[in-house]
Amino acid sequence: MLTVPALHAQTVAVKGRVTGVSDADALPGVSVVIKGTQRGTTTNADGSFQLEVPGPSTVLVFSFVGYKSIEETVGNRTDINVQISPENKSLEEVVVVGYGTQSKRAVTGSVISINYDKFKDRSFSNVTQSLAGTLPGVNISQSQGAPGASPVIKIRGVSSITAGTNPLIVVDGVPLENFNLNLINPSDIESIEVLKDASSAAIYGSRGSSGVVLVTTKLGKAGKVSVSANLEYGSQKVVRRVKMMDAQQFIETYKDAKNNAWMAQGGKAGDPNSVRPATLRIPEDFVNNPEQFGKGTDWQEAMFRTAPSVNAQLSVSGGTEKTQYMFSGSYLDQTAVLDQNYYKRLAIRSNVRTSVTDKLTLGLNLGLTSIFDRTEGTQGKSDVISLGLQSNPHFPVYNENGNYGFRDPNSTWFRFTSYADMNLWHPYSLTREVDKGRKSFNTLATGFLEYELIKDLRFRTSISGNLYNTRNNFYWNDKQKYGYSSVLAAQANAGSNYMFNWLSENTFTYDKKFGDHALTGLLGYTVQKQRDETMYVAANNFPNDLVHTLNAGTVTAGNTTASEWSLISYLARVQYNLKGKYFVTGAIRRDGMSRFGEANKWGYFPSVSAGWLISDETFMSAIPAVSNLKLRASYGVTGNNQIPNYGAISLLGSAPYVNGGTLANGLKVSGLSNPTLKWEKTDQFNLGLDLGLYNNRVNVSAEVYNSITRDMLLFVPIPDITGFSSQLTNIGKMRNRGVELNISSKNLTGAVTWTTDFNISRNRNKVLQLGPGNAPIQYVDNVVTVRTEVGQPVSNFYGYIFDGVFKNQAEIDGYPHHSSTTPGDPRVRDVNGDGQITDADRTIIGNNQPDFITGITNTVGYKGFELSFLFQGSFGGEIANNNVRFLGTWDNGRNFYESMYQYWRSESNPGDGKHFKPSVNYLGLQKQFSSYWVEDASFVRLKNIRVSYSIPSAWAGKLKMKDARIYVNAENVHLFSKYLGYDPENTTYGTTSYSSSMETSGSYTSGNAPVPGAFAGVDYGSYPLPRVITVGIKADI
Amino acid sequence: MKKLILLLSIVSLTVGSWGCKESFLTLAPASNPNAENFYKTKADFDLAATAAYNTLYTVYHPQGAVSYAGELMADNATIYNISGNQADKWQFRDYTLAPANTLVYQFWQDFYRSLYNINIVLDKLEGATLDADYKTKLQGEMLFLRGLYYYNMVQIWGDVPLVIKPITAAESYNVLRSPAAEIKAQVIKDLTEAKGKLAAAPSLVGRATKGAAQTLLGKAYLMTGDKTNAAKELKEVYDSKQYELLPAYTSLWDPKVKNTKESIFEIQFLGGSAIHPFSVYHREFFPNSNALGFYGSGMNQAVDDIWNEFETGDSRKFASIDTGFVDAKGVFTPARFPKKWMDKSAPLINQDIAANNNFMVLRYADLLLLLTEATGEVSYLNEVRKRANLPLYGATSYPAKYNTVALALEHERRVELAFEFQRWFDLKRTGRAVEVLKTKGKNITDNKLVLPVPNIVRDQNNKITQNQGY
Repeated sequence: MLTVPALHAQTVAVKGRVTGVSDADALPGVSVVIKGTQRGTTTNADGSFQLEVPGPSTVLVFSFVGYKSIEETVGNRTDINVQISPENKSLEEVVVVGYGTQSKRAVTGSVISINYDKFKDRSFSNVTQSLAGTLPGVNISQSQGAPGASPVIKIRGVSSITAGTNPLIVVDGVPLENFNLNLINPSDIESIEVLKDASSAAIYGSRGSSGVVLVTTKLGKAGKVSVSANLEYGSQKVVRRVKMMDAQQFIETYKDAKNNAWMAQGGKAGDPNSVRPATLRIPEDFVNNPEQFGKGTDWQEAMFRTAPSVNAQLSVSGGTEKTQYMFSGSYLDQTAVLDQNYYKRLAIRSNVRTSVTDKLTLGLNLGLTSIFDRTEGTQGKSDVISLGLQSNPHFPVYNENGNYGFRDPNSTWFRFTSYADMNLWHPYSLTREVDKGRKSFNTLATGFLEYELIKDLRFRTSISGNLYNTRNNFYWNDKQKYGYSSVLAAQANAGSNYMFNWLSENTFTYDKKFGDHALTGLLGYTVQKQRDETMYVAANNFPNDLVHTLNAGTVTAGNTTASEWSLISYLARVQYNLKGKYFVTGAIRRDGMSRFGEANKWGYFPSVSAGWLISDETFMSAIPAVSNLKLRASYGVTGNNQIPNYGAISLLGSAPYVNGGTLANGLKVSGLSNPTLKWEKTDQFNLGLDLGLYNNRVNVSAEVYNSITRDMLLFVPIPDITGFSSQLTNIGKMRNRGVELNISSKNLTGAVTWTTDFNISRNRNKVLQLGPGNAPIQYVDNVVTVRTEVGQPVSNFYGYIFDGVFKNQAEIDGYPHHSSTTPGDPRVRDVNGDGQITDADRTIIGNNQPDFITGITNTVGYKGFELSFLFQGSFGGEIANNNVRFLGTWDNGRNFYESMYQYWRSESNPGDGKHFKPSVNYLGLQKQFSSYWVEDASFVRLKNIRVSYSIPSAWAGKLKMKDARIYVNAENVHLFSKYLGYDPENTTYGTTSYSSSMETSGSYTSGNAPVPGAFAGVDYGSYPLPRVITVGIKADI
Repeated sequence: MKKLILLLSIVSLTVGSWGCKESFLTLAPASNPNAENFYKTKADFDLAATAAYNTLYTVYHPQGAVSYAGELMADNATIYNISGNQADKWQFRDYTLAPANTLVYQFWQDFYRSLYNINIVLDKLEGATLDADYKTKLQGEMLFLRGLYYYNMVQIWGDVPLVIKPITAAESYNVLRSPAAEIKAQVIKDLTEAKGKLAAAPSLVGRATKGAAQTLLGKAYLMTGDKTNAAKELKEVYDSKQYELLPAYTSLWDPKVKNTKESIFEIQFLGGSAIHPFSVYHREFFPNSNALGFYGSGMNQAVDDIWNEFETGDSRKFASIDTGFVDAKGVFTPARFPKKWMDKSAPLINQDIAANNNFMVLRYADLLLLLTEATGEVSYLNEVRKRANLPLYGATSYPAKYNTVALALEHERRVELAFEFQRWFDLKRTGRAVEVLKTKGKNITDNKLVLPVPNIVRDQNNKITQNQGY
C-alpha cells in the first residue's frame, strides 16, 4: 500500500452510489476515502459520489457514523454501488460508570444506559420523568403533577425505613446528594446511566444504597460546527378530575348527615332548628329552597385552566482534535394548570475540553440555571387543590359584591356564617389574593486537569462547586376578599436558602493492554463538604395592600439556621479482562463522614464482579442465531448516609417559660446521642444474562438480585418512659429481592421499521429484623396507620376491614358489631373471630409497593415518519386515601366524593352497599382507618405518544441543514385506574430526605412521623398529573 | 505549561489535604447547642429549670391529659365539632376508650417526656458544684413538679412505670408498671422532700413554693385516704396566712391579674405576641365557628348539667360559663363554654388568639375545700360560700339536697372549681365517680376509671401489662 502514492499519475475515474438497507435509502454524507491516504470525498444528497483513484488495486473505504465501514477494491469497475448496513455496535458502546467509562462489553454489574435519543422530544423539565416506565427495576413515579415537581425514584425497592432513599445523582462526575434534576436541561444531556446493583454503585460507597443516577452532559465532536435549534409549544390540561358532589347532591347528603345524628339522639328528621342543638341545625335555604343553588360551583373548574408552555433552545457544539466544546441556552416558560402558578427556567451551559499538549488536557463544565416559579397545591391537605375540593359547591365563585366568600358582611351569603360547618377555602383567596414566588439560582461548575504521567498512567484532578440559592416571598392581601376560611389581616414572609457544596477529586488511572490481557486500575482520593443556610422573616400589621415587601409592615418573626456535612473518601478499583471475553472487577471505597458517631465515622464498601462473554467463544459459532450472550455476576456492599447532619449528637432544643412575668429561654435535650452511630450497609448479589438473537435484532436482558440491608439507620421506637420516642440507631435488617426482564426487538427493519421495547420487574421487600423484641414500628397521621413489622414489607397499611354496610337490623344481629351500630352503618369484620369488634380486629389492609411494574414502547418508522407510544403499568399496590377523612365521610360539612352519594338511606333504598350513611356524629368506627380508605393503586397509563417527521436528507441538504424535524408529543395521555383521587401515583409524602435546602420529591412532612418516606403511598391532597401536548420543531445545521 | 500543571496540582492537593485531618469530619452543630457540655453552670441549670417548667404547658394543655380526664371524662363538659381526629376524642367522653386511642398514647408520651426534663435536672444537680441554697431550692421545685405529674398519672392510669432518674433505652425494658400504691408513696415522698427544700416565697414569681408543695401533699394524702396527715399539711398552709381569698370571684379571671394572694401554684403565660408562650385556653375552649377570625377548638363545652348545678344567684355561674359570642355583623350566637380564661382584649394573630391568662393549678379556695374534706369542719367550706354570697352550710336556706358535708363539698368543689380540671379527680378521690357519672348517662364501670395502657407501649415491651377491662 505504501506504493500507492507513487502510482499517482495513472488515475481512473470511478463513480457510484451508496445506499443503506434498501435501494431507496440513499445515504448522503458517507465518506469515501482511498485506503492509506487522506484523499477522498463524501456522497451527495442522492448518495452518489465521484472520485479519481490511482488504479484497479485501489481500496475504497466507505464509512458513515452508525454504519459498518466497508472496504471495496476498485478492480476494473468504474461504477461502484455499495450498500452499507447499520452497525451492530451495541457491545462497543461506551457506558459511563463511576469514575470512568467502560465498553458495554465489559460491564459486569447492572447498569442501564440511556442516551439522548430516548428522551429527546419529551417535554419534561426533569429528565428522569421521561424515563418512567422504560427502565426495569427503576420505579419512577410522579407523586405530584406540578410543573417542576421531581418524581420519586426507587431503584430496586426501598432499602431503608427511616434513612433517606433518594438515589445519588452524579452530574458529570460530581456526586450530589438530593440533587434536583430540574436544574439540568434535558437537552444538554448526552446520556443517563442508572447504576442498579451494589457492585456498580459501590464505587460511590456510602451513598450508593438507593442506586446512583449518572448524568453526563454533551460535548462537541471534532469536525464541523453543529448548531441545533429547537422550539416547542405545549398545552397542559387536567383531564382526569375528581368527581365531587354537585350542590344538590351535597345539600341532600348534608341534611341526611344532620338528620341521622339528630335521629340517633331521639329527634325526628323533620324537626325545626329551634329544637335542635347548634351543631345539628340545617341552613333554612337547604330545607326550604335547595333548588336555588342549581348544580352550584365546580371548584376544579375555577381552579384549573388549560395552560400553555413554550420551550426554546439553542446549542452550538463542535471542535477540533484538540478542543471540543458545547454551548447551549434554553428557556422554558410554563404556565401551570393551577391558577396563577407558573414555572420558568433559563439554563445556560458551557462545556469545554482542550488538550494543551499530548499529555495534558484541561476542561471546564459550567451550568447556570435559574428557575422562577410559583408552585402551590403540592403541600397536601391544607394547600389550594385539596382545600378547593373540600369547599362547598353551593357557594358561588363570586358573590354579588365581586368578593369571594360568604364571610363578606355586606353579602347576603353572610347568613351562612351562623353555621360552623360551612366550608369555603376559595382557591382564588390563596392564588389571586396572594403575591408569591420563588427564585432559584444554581451554578454547577467542574474544572479538571488530566495529565499522562507516564505511558498508560493518567492523573486527573478536579474541583467542583455547586452553589444553590433560593429566595421566596409571600404576601397575603388583607381580608382575602373574604374567600378564606377566616378573614385574616394581611401578612407576609420572605425566606432564603443557600447551599454550597465543594468537591475535590484526585485519581490515578492505569490502563494497560498486554497480549490477551487488559488491565485498568484506579486509585482516588476525594473530599467533599457542604454547608446549608436558611433564613426566614415574617411580618404583619400592614397599613394597606399597596406595598408587598416586609418593610411596609411590622416584622414579627425571623430565623436563620446553618448546617454542614463533610466527607472524605479513598477509592480503588481494578478491572481486568482476558481476551475481551472474561471480565473481573474489584473495587473498594473507604468513606469517612461527619454525620456519624465519633467511634464509627469510617466505613469500607467493597465489591467484586465478573462477566463472561459466552458468545465470543468458538463453540458458540455453531449457534449462529445467538449473536450475543453474556453472563454477569456481582456482589457488593453499599451504604446509606442519609440521616440528619448531626444525627449522632444529642442536641438541645428551645423550651421557654415565663419566669417572674418575663419570657425566659429554656433548653431541653431534644434527642438522645449515639456515639456509636455508623453506616447503614446493603449487601447485594446480582446475576444477569444478556442475550442477543438474530444479529441482535432481539435483545433480552434478565437480572435477579438479592440484597440485604443491615445495621439500618433507624429511628428505633424506644419505650417512651425514657423521655424519648425514638433513637437513631443501627438496628434491623431488610431484604429486597427481585427479577427484571428487558426485551428489545427490531420487529421490522425494512422500509417500515418497528421496534418494541418491553420491560417488567418485580421487587419483593421484606423486613427481617427490627429493634428490641422486633417491636413493630407504627406511625399515624390523622388516622392513617402505617406499620412495619418483621416478615412483612415496609409500611403496611394497618386498620379495620369494612365489609360494606349492614342493610337492616337482622344483619346487625347476625354478626359481631360495634355497640353503636344501627342499620346503614359499616359492617366491620371480626378479624380475630372473638365475637366482638375491638382494636384487635385491625389487620394489614394494604401496601403501596407494587407486585410488579412494566412498560412497553413501540416505535414505528417509515421514511421520515416516526410514531412511538409508551404504556406504563403498575400492579398490585394499594394507596391509602387520607382525603377520605374530608371527602369520603362527614367532616364538618366539607363536600363529598360523588361516589359517596350511593350511601344507605333506608332498608328499601340501601345504596350501593359500600357507602354507610352519613352522620355528623359517627359513633362507631366510620372515621377510623379501614379498608374504606384503601384503594387499589394498580394502573395502566398511556404515558406517551410521539409522532415526528424528519424532512428527507436531500431536502435538508438543500436547506443547508443536517436534519430538520417536526414532532408532536403527548404525555399522560390516558390513565386506566379506578382511584377516587387524581392519580394512583399521587403520594403527598414522597421520599425521606434530610436535605435542608434543595427541594426534591416529597417535601411534605407529617408531624406524626419522623420521616415522610414511611407514608409513601398515602394521598393527603395532591396535584393532578396534567395531560401535556407539545408541538415542536427542531433544526440541526 | 509545567508551571500551570504544578500550580493546579498544588491547589487541588491542598484542598484535598484539608481532609487528611480527622477534624475535617468533626463538625459541631451550627444552629443547635450540643448537649455534651450542658448541665455544668448555674446558667445551664437556669435554662434547664425553665425547660422543666415548660412541660406544664403540655401536661396542663387544654387538650392535654389533665383536661381530658378532669373535665371531659366527668359531667361538666362535652365536645361537638372539635378539630382533629374527633372519634378518638369522643372516646373519653363516652367511656369507649381503646388501647389504640392516639390521644391516650400522646398523653403517655407527654408525661414521660416531661418527667425526663425534671429527672435530668435532679440527676445532674447531684454532682454539680453550685451554691447550696440554689441547689436545694431547685431540687425542691423539681420534686414538686414530679410529685404533681405522678399525682395525675396514678389517677389516670393506676399502675404506671416509675421513672425517677434518666434511664437508657436498654434499661427501660426492665422498668415495668409499679403498683399504684408505690406511685402514691413516691408522690408523698417527693412532695415531703420538696416541702423541706422550698421556701415560702418563690425563687421567681411563678415557681413552686413550700405552700404549693404542702397543698399538693395534703391533696395527695387525701387521695391515699390519710385524712390525718392531709389535715396536718393543709392546716399548716392555712395557718401560715400566706394566702387568702380574693374578695371577688370574678377578679380571679382577669387576664391581667396574675399570681394573686389566692394563687398557690399557677402556670405562667404571656400574651400579646405570636412568639410568646401565650395562653391557648381561650382558643381551645372557644366554640368552633365560621363567624370569627380564628378557629375555636370547641374543647370542654359546658353541658346543661353543670349549667344547672349552680344555685340561683350564684354569680360564679356567669364567671365560669360564657353564653355565646358576637360575629362580624354583631349577630349573637348562643353557645356555652368555659369563660374563665377568655381574654377579650388579646390580639388576633394568624388565626390565633394570643391570650394572656395564667392557669391556676392550686388555689386557696381549693385548699379550703380540701381542709373541710380532711377535717370535716365546715368553716373552711363556708369561707368559700361566703365569698360567693350564698347561704352557708348549716343555714336553713342552704340547699337541702346537699345534706351531708360530703355532698356539700362535692357540689361546692364542682361549681367553685368548674372547668379547672378538678371534677373527675374529685369524684375519683371520694370514690363517687361510678355512682355519680352513671346517673349522668356515662357508660362507666370501675374498670373504666383508669385509662388503658397504650397498645404501642405494649407492642414495644410485651412485659408491660394492661389494665383490667381493656
